[in-house]
Amino acid sequence: MQKEYIHIILADDDEDDRLFFTDAFSELKISTKVQTFNDGVELMEYLNQEDAVLPQVLFLDLNMPRKNGLEALHEIKANPKFDSMAIAIYSTSSSEEHIEETFVCGANIYIKKPSDFNTLKKVLSDVVTLNWQYHTSGLNKDNFLLRM
Amino acid sequence: MKAFLKFDFTVLTKKILEEKLSQWGLKYLITGFGEVEFLEDIPEDKLAEITAILNSYGIEIIENQKTALVQKIKDTIIEMVFSDSPPTVKASAYLADKLNHSYGYLSNLFSEVTYTSVENFMIIQKIEYAKQLIVNDKMSLTEIAYKLNYSSVAHLSTQFKNTTGITPSQFQRIIAKRREIANTK
Amino acid sequence: MDFIKIYRSPLFLKVIFVISIAIIFFIAGITLKHIHSLSNASNWVNHTYRTAIELEHLYADIKDIEVAKRDYLLTKDQTIRFAINIYKKDVQKSLEKVKALTQENKEQRKNTIILEELIQIKYQNVDKAFALVESRINDNYVVADELLSGKKAIFDIKMQVEKMVKLEEKLLDIRKANYEDNQNLTPIIIYLLLLFILGLLSLAYFKMNADLINIKKNNDELILANESSNLAEIVGNYGTWFLNLETNEYTLSDNEYRLLGYAPQAFTPSLEDFAKHVHPDDYSYVKEIADSMIHQEILAPFSYRVIKKDGTLRHFKAMGRVVENKSNERILIGTTSDITDAITASEELEVRNRILEANNKELQAFNYVASHDLQEPLRKIETFISRLIDKESESITETGQQYLSRIKASAGRMRILIDDLLQFSRTTRAENIFEETNLNEQLENSKAELTQFIEDTKATIVHEDLPSLNAIPFQIQQLFTNLIHNSLKYSKENSSPLIQIKVDKIIAEKESLLNFQTKDSYYKIVFEDNGIGFEQEYAQKIFDLFSRLHGKTEYAGTGIGLAICKKIVENHKGFIFAEGRPGSGATFTIFLPVG
Repeated sequence: MQKEYIHIILADDDEDDRLFFTDAFSELKISTKVQTFNDGVELMEYLNQEDAVLPQVLFLDLNMPRKNGLEALHEIKANPKFDSMAIAIYSTSSSEEHIEETFVCGANIYIKKPSDFNTLKKVLSDVVTLNWQYHTSGLNKDNFLLRM
Repeated sequence: MKAFLKFDFTVLTKKILEEKLSQWGLKYLITGFGEVEFLEDIPEDKLAEITAILNSYGIEIIENQKTALVQKIKDTIIEMVFSDSPPTVKASAYLADKLNHSYGYLSNLFSEVTYTSVENFMIIQKIEYAKQLIVNDKMSLTEIAYKLNYSSVAHLSTQFKNTTGITPSQFQRIIAKRREIANTK
Repeated sequence: MDFIKIYRSPLFLKVIFVISIAIIFFIAGITLKHIHSLSNASNWVNHTYRTAIELEHLYADIKDIEVAKRDYLLTKDQTIRFAINIYKKDVQKSLEKVKALTQENKEQRKNTIILEELIQIKYQNVDKAFALVESRINDNYVVADELLSGKKAIFDIKMQVEKMVKLEEKLLDIRKANYEDNQNLTPIIIYLLLLFILGLLSLAYFKMNADLINIKKNNDELILANESSNLAEIVGNYGTWFLNLETNEYTLSDNEYRLLGYAPQAFTPSLEDFAKHVHPDDYSYVKEIADSMIHQEILAPFSYRVIKKDGTLRHFKAMGRVVENKSNERILIGTTSDITDAITASEELEVRNRILEANNKELQAFNYVASHDLQEPLRKIETFISRLIDKESESITETGQQYLSRIKASAGRMRILIDDLLQFSRTTRAENIFEETNLNEQLENSKAELTQFIEDTKATIVHEDLPSLNAIPFQIQQLFTNLIHNSLKYSKENSSPLIQIKVDKIIAEKESLLNFQTKDSYYKIVFEDNGIGFEQEYAQKIFDLFSRLHGKTEYAGTGIGLAICKKIVENHKGFIFAEGRPGSGATFTIFLPVG
């Protein structure tokens, strides 16, 4: 696919979920670099740095202390610096209306955390691959909506 | 005051190329989409400079031949999907014919480099076009399905949902709501 | 018929009165005339006898003259001549009287003239006799001749007098006959009229009597009504009042006083006295309305607070209307009711409602949070198990693997339960927004959601074109999904499921399943499948929360799916019914209000 790795960031307050996430990526054939943060505050602190290396895909858990996923999403969408990032909401089950709301607020992807590890691997792989397509084929990222 | 834009990348890139290359006084020929032949040799450092500046416009110089071919495949597919008069022959035949390789070879190469199949890529492009048409808001779902050669709206819905995880109407709704919010800002 | 109508009409007595007066005047008139005739008749009798008497006098005087004449002839006494002159004067008097008496009748006048002539002839005779004596002629023949002519003259006069008297008598008879005719007719007329009047007066009497009885009866009823109205006021806790708009006088009913805590008629009713009891905060509002009510024909219901004599606060509601009484006075009639109890009750109800709502919200929140937060640890369990099974199955014994797979199964069941509970709690949340929803779209969404299951069971779903209506789109989708899922789940083992969805627009009162009679329109959507069905006796039970008809080893399930369907249908103010045919299938009928 390409020489470089795909840069991924996850913000999730749950230790187990962070573990699943990084383990899944490490078992995928795609070369990725995964960073994790414990909540929205840590995430934004990192992203707002002058020389921050922005990920291709940012995974946001919704329920986090101090600053939750939705708040972070609003902040990110408000800053044109982050326009090139694809944002994936990575959350436990939500109602249809909530899911739609996250898309309306600017998220590109919504992922319901699967309860099977293999499913998780497949989901993450699909997301990253599809995002790569958008990245390399001049597709309109604004219209990039994916729900898994 | 708000204006809605549509981008024609072909024209855009061509214009930038022309501007930039003329600026440097380079002699060149644009021999196809994504292909430029320089009529004289360019020294390494100059090339690096040009590459850097073109990169800032998002224009990359692809060095690898395989990558270049894959790019051509992509470009052809995009052209097919987005054209107003799609070719009457099967996509595979059209690709093989246009790019002068067997479809089997092209398809393998494509998967190897992009980790996706040609069919998949085509579907993605089709859905992408559908999304554009939905955002444009001038056609109904039935018309869009027809234009993209689906046998019915249900067929379009199914493929749309399989690709994106949401239905075209949901997509429509989300775009509309996004627009509403942007309008009230 | 007509007569009865006339009898009943109020003009009857007036007319009778007028007719009676007219008849009385008429009778008076006739009587007067009769009396007049009577006096006339007696006058005529008078007249006739006076004439006869005068004529007899006259004749007697003439006879006296004759006798005197004869005496003179015999005696030649001169004094007799004086007597004869006196007799002549008497005759003249009588003659004048007779003339006067007879001047009305033409024939009598003629007779009188003839009589006068005859008397003149007699006087001539007498004068001749005197002359004879004067001339000392003693011729017996002349004397006898003279006496004879004298006798004849008297005889003529007698005849004439008799004739005249007879004539008078005849005239009298004629008049008598006339009079008698009249006399016979008049009493008959008078008696008939009297009878007629008596008849009318009797009618009038009966009518007046009847009217009187009626009035008395009405009066009695009025008294009764008044009493019962007073009682009604006490029972119903309201009072009535009148304001005579012409005289500006207020009248308050007994209970109106009691409402304010006073004894009936405790003070003279006036606006000021009443206003004293109005709660100070409501005073200007009430005054405004009181001022305007006098100008308007109607006093619209309004409420205000008062402070009773004993200081307690009450809520009053008043309303009124202007009516015109029989004397053309405009009276404003009003009612005041004490609605304090109703208001207190409704306030209490509101408070209880709020508490209930708060409780409900709490429960819903609890339900939601519980379901939602239970998902996290469950997911972890499932994921770690899947990791174990995947990565470590080599190092786990076969028993261990079995246990792992059972743990996985249990966790899976728990997941479904929590998912369903979450779904259930979502359908009861208040923030659901209604919008114009195309049911076909939601059906397609449901089918898309169940694509895999539909494919696996090789199911066919046939549906009519569904309408659009005001609904919560996500919930409708959930409803359809749950129903279709059920049909697929409970399908017959060796046949592909067939689900038919039909729709109809019906009116409530014509639909047997709905047992209320209104003209409201509903869409009747029927989901019919060819699955295993169920016993009809459970048709209501299956909608109960957690109620199941099969054990979990026969069919997986939580018993929440249909409860969710019922909740969703209820959210939309609709109805859902189930019908089961064991071994052949089930039918679910949904009613959703049109609009």
